Amino acid sequence: MAIELHPLEQFAIERIIPIHIGGLDLSYTNAALMMTIAIVLVTALTVIATRAAALVPGRWQSVAEMLYEFVGDMVDTNIGHGGRQFFPFIFTLFTFILFANLLGMIPYSYTTTSQIIVTFALAAVVFILVTTVGIIRHGFHFLSLFVPSGVPKVLLLLLVPIELLSYFIRPFTLSIRLFANMLAGHTMLAIFGGFAASVGFLAFFPTAIDVLLVGLEFLVAVLQAYVFAILTCLYLGEALHLH
Amino acid sequence: MSDEPPDPLARLGERIDKARAERVQREPSAVDRSTMQQGLGLGLRIGIELVVAIGIATGLGWALDRWFGTRPWGMVVLFFLGVAAGMLNVYRAVAGISAPVGYRRPGDGASRSPTAKDEWDDDEN
Repeated sequence: MAIELHPLEQFAIERIIPIHIGGLDLSYTNAALMMTIAIVLVTALTVIATRAAALVPGRWQSVAEMLYEFVGDMVDTNIGHGGRQFFPFIFTLFTFILFANLLGMIPYSYTTTSQIIVTFALAAVVFILVTTVGIIRHGFHFLSLFVPSGVPKVLLLLLVPIELLSYFIRPFTLSIRLFANMLAGHTMLAIFGGFAASVGFLAFFPTAIDVLLVGLEFLVAVLQAYVFAILTCLYLGEALHLH
Repeated sequence: MSDEPPDPLARLGERIDKARAERVQREPSAVDRSTMQQGLGLGLRIGIELVVAIGIATGLGWALDRWFGTRPWGMVVLFFLGVAAGMLNVYRAVAGISAPVGYRRPGDGASRSPTAKDEWDDDEN
């Protein structure tokens, strides 16, 4: 049997509109297309669904309001006082990742968040924002974040590097978590799909596993968007209210 | 019912409350669901924390060794620092979402108490 398995083929970047400016490859790719679709859908949901805002909401307005309240609660409980000014940022981040993840679940579409450069760019924005907010709010005092209180001076020699490391590792954990979850899940789906295609009449078993995995992948898609947003909230809350 | 509110909205509110109460009776697990989701989020979160911390720290040590020619000490030291940082992150994630960072004593985190939720309805900024 000559069925070739390429579980990673689905992550290939293809140039849809090649753009080259001064040696830079700025082509509009399939990943960029999916990001655009995600943004358009989020905007459509929030703008159109609430255009004819009724006191008793219809279906779409209900969805938009639930999303809004969900993120609002998350911001309030995890950032705390003064967190509302970051609500637009968190809402944008959460809905964008959520829609990008869910769009990736549509067969033959493309999962933008399975590209580490995309998730790392998001995480880097979060990291820079958190650090900037911390420095603006607390100035030099922000560095006290790296000095645990109530610890003997000698131990500080060891603890400050650990604290620094665990702080600067954040953009990496944030981005690798999202990227790895999406990449691994979609690769697994493709691998079991490939099994189903190559084992003939036994195809029922890998197909059944794939059906279960699709359910799991939907869970992961929503949950990873939630985790990304809630960690951003926690980091922001910590930068706002130091010790 | 004679004391039914004339306002259609209030009537709707009553019906929603009734339906909610019925749902809680029918499936009590619906209440625990949010805590389960939080636990699930936490579990998926910490899995990668330790691995990435060790990997990044060791890689950083390797790079420093290359630049300064101090092989193998940078890698050795940073490997153990990475293990410590990873464990610290996992510990903080597990020790509680509400008190994660900076060795804050329990009780100091009053700024993140559930009462903060009420601020949502005020126009403070």
